[in-house]
Amino acid sequence: MSAQPTRAQSQAVSLVRRRPLQVRLRDLRVSGWLFLTPLILLNAVVVLIPSIESVAYSFTDWTGLGAATFIGLDNYTKMFGNSDFQSALVHNVIWTAFFLVVPMTLGLFGAYALLRIKRFAVAFRTIYFVPYIVASVVNASIWRVLLSPDMGLGRLLGINFLGETRWAFFSVMIVNTWAWWGFLLVMFLAAMQSVNPSLYEAAEIDGASSTRQFFSITLPSIRPTLMFLGLMTIIWSFLTFDYVYILTQGGPAGSTELLSTLLYREAFTNLRAGYASAIGVIMALISAAAVVSYLWVRHAKDWEM
Amino acid sequence: MHPRLTRRSLLSLTALTGAVGLVGCGKSPAPPVTSGSVASPNSTPVQYWTFFQDKKNEDYFREHFVKAYSGPAPVEITVKSTDTIDRLIQTALAAGKGPDVVLTPGPSYVPAYDKAGYLAELDAYAKKFGWDTKFAGWSLQASQIDGKLISLPASYESMAFYFSPEVLDKEGLKPPTNRGEFENFCDTALGKGKIPLAAGNADWKAANEWHITVFLDHYAGPKAVYSALQGETAWTDPIFVEAISLLKGYFQKGYFGGSVSSYFTNTFPTVYKQLATGQAFGMISGTWEMANLPTYFADGGSGSGTNWGWTTCPSFHTDVPTDVWDLGIGASIALNAKSPNLGGAADYLNFLTTDTKTITAAIEAVSMQPPPVKLSTADFTAKADERIRRLYTELPKAQNIGYTTWTFYPQQTETYMIQEFEKVITNKTSVQDYCAGINDQFKKEKAAGKVPVAPKPAGLGG
Repeated sequence: MSAQPTRAQSQAVSLVRRRPLQVRLRDLRVSGWLFLTPLILLNAVVVLIPSIESVAYSFTDWTGLGAATFIGLDNYTKMFGNSDFQSALVHNVIWTAFFLVVPMTLGLFGAYALLRIKRFAVAFRTIYFVPYIVASVVNASIWRVLLSPDMGLGRLLGINFLGETRWAFFSVMIVNTWAWWGFLLVMFLAAMQSVNPSLYEAAEIDGASSTRQFFSITLPSIRPTLMFLGLMTIIWSFLTFDYVYILTQGGPAGSTELLSTLLYREAFTNLRAGYASAIGVIMALISAAAVVSYLWVRHAKDWEM
Repeated sequence: MHPRLTRRSLLSLTALTGAVGLVGCGKSPAPPVTSGSVASPNSTPVQYWTFFQDKKNEDYFREHFVKAYSGPAPVEITVKSTDTIDRLIQTALAAGKGPDVVLTPGPSYVPAYDKAGYLAELDAYAKKFGWDTKFAGWSLQASQIDGKLISLPASYESMAFYFSPEVLDKEGLKPPTNRGEFENFCDTALGKGKIPLAAGNADWKAANEWHITVFLDHYAGPKAVYSALQGETAWTDPIFVEAISLLKGYFQKGYFGGSVSSYFTNTFPTVYKQLATGQAFGMISGTWEMANLPTYFADGGSGSGTNWGWTTCPSFHTDVPTDVWDLGIGASIALNAKSPNLGGAADYLNFLTTDTKTITAAIEAVSMQPPPVKLSTADFTAKADERIRRLYTELPKAQNIGYTTWTFYPQQTETYMIQEFEKVITNKTSVQDYCAGINDQFKKEKAAGKVPVAPKPAGLGG
């Protein structure tokens, strides 16, 4: 009996083998969609539909109550000519620049220092991280008391940190930095711990100082984390709301107003939901521009994440 | 091979969700309910969302305004936070739901709710329950939109000058009645290292408008304000510019809160403590403070041992009388046009706002701010606090009335006045520009018919 299959047998076997593969592929597609469907529906309901509605409302005079009337680009032209919007935008840019420099630097150097100590490293890491996990309303309330002109730092230094227009914005940024930098530290520390130790050993044998090692080994090695956190800092800076709202509500006299607090005020206090939607659209476009720029730079420099 | 979402399928999904969103955006408002006749009540529980300053007030309300109510349908209340109740009610109404009895921030905001078609007209109920004989006429006028009654005033108030008689006696001062006395009062306080007037807006930015109201009514005067509210005088008129300039000058001298920066960070507890301990000599605020002050003074047990007193705010201009009462409606109540029990809700609204026996008992027990229903000395028992009884028996007979910004000014003009005022006292905006901004905003809202009806400044009679 020949071991060779006949042509008909081969075709039959081939069909048997091919059909399960097609079925399997179809099953995979179906199951993929099945897994994705809840997420897509959730995103559509919570993100996509409200986003599209926001864009649509930004071309209307909607008050947040009742019907909306189409007014074209009126909200956008008013917005760019409005001094409150301009001031909030400038504050957001300053806020972003500050958070790209101060907490990032603190986090980087803090992580590098923690990487080099053996004793109490976990305790320090915990201490620095705790403000990040405490609710912002609690942190802000504590700082409101600390900065009060009647007690704490405010009284000690004779400065009304949250009441004087020249101090308020800086004070709010410091409070938010205090709560935020511990998170960056932990992220940077995790990235630094994954750097190959032999690089440091080789550098030490070559006589490289700690500073040199930091700039020549650590920084290049954690560049993906650095870039990612930089990008997220830009996006989060334009979404910041809680600390400003709790500490100053954008005051005094608009000195701490950000786009997010302005949006909230326009939507819920001034009942100008259409105008607030236009502010939201601009905020989203700025974030999108940051993401696109980041992707472009990454692509141009051929950086890996 | 990985199963993948094609670009086409994603685009289809986007288009579908987008279409759903745009359909939602283009919805028309529900037509307003025209109540030529009253709806019959049924047994569906009446829903009412409200808020309370503290648990004591909540417990009292539940006992005397919910359990004690014996109308055609039971009442169920839902307690919300003070900060979010308006937003929650607005969202619920927009979704075609919400409470049957709708609490709003006052006449300034009612037109927005009404325009959206959320509220039922109340004229037929007014006739049924005889509200025109129970409420002060001005308050019903202010609750009308285009000649139709849309809401009822839930509480009314005035601005007042508070002080501690013991502190002022010790300092040899009296509550000021005119500009000269006021400046002497404040300068004396500053000279002694004290705060002239306890004030702050850290807890409530809208506190700015309390002071704006007082200076417009007591410097420019009720006649000028009334004329501007009618659109006959511009808000850029020198009399208004002078009023705001005077207020700005007083702020910058430290009369309010000790300094401009302290004003921005003083919380309400700080303000009350300053007044109760004699650290501040006086306070200009609303009559709602009569419920808050006892805790900080001798009445509250844990207070400072001093008492509090009040009088009307001083006149800042020789042409303005010394007894101007700044009329205000703290909140307005209306009926949800989509209520499944409109008749039952109307019955409860009537009980809530006109049952004088329950209302006076609440004034005496928890210093509740009553609706502007007609009360007389005879309505109060001997237990009533004399200071509070005096308010609610004298205010309805006021011969000179002023206009609070949160009652008689349209909503966006009011919010502009509150928000931009901080720029005035920090020299970021000139008084002239501020008044011009008010004028621009007001003109738009006047043209849109959004200015509440104000009574003439002649007085309330009585």
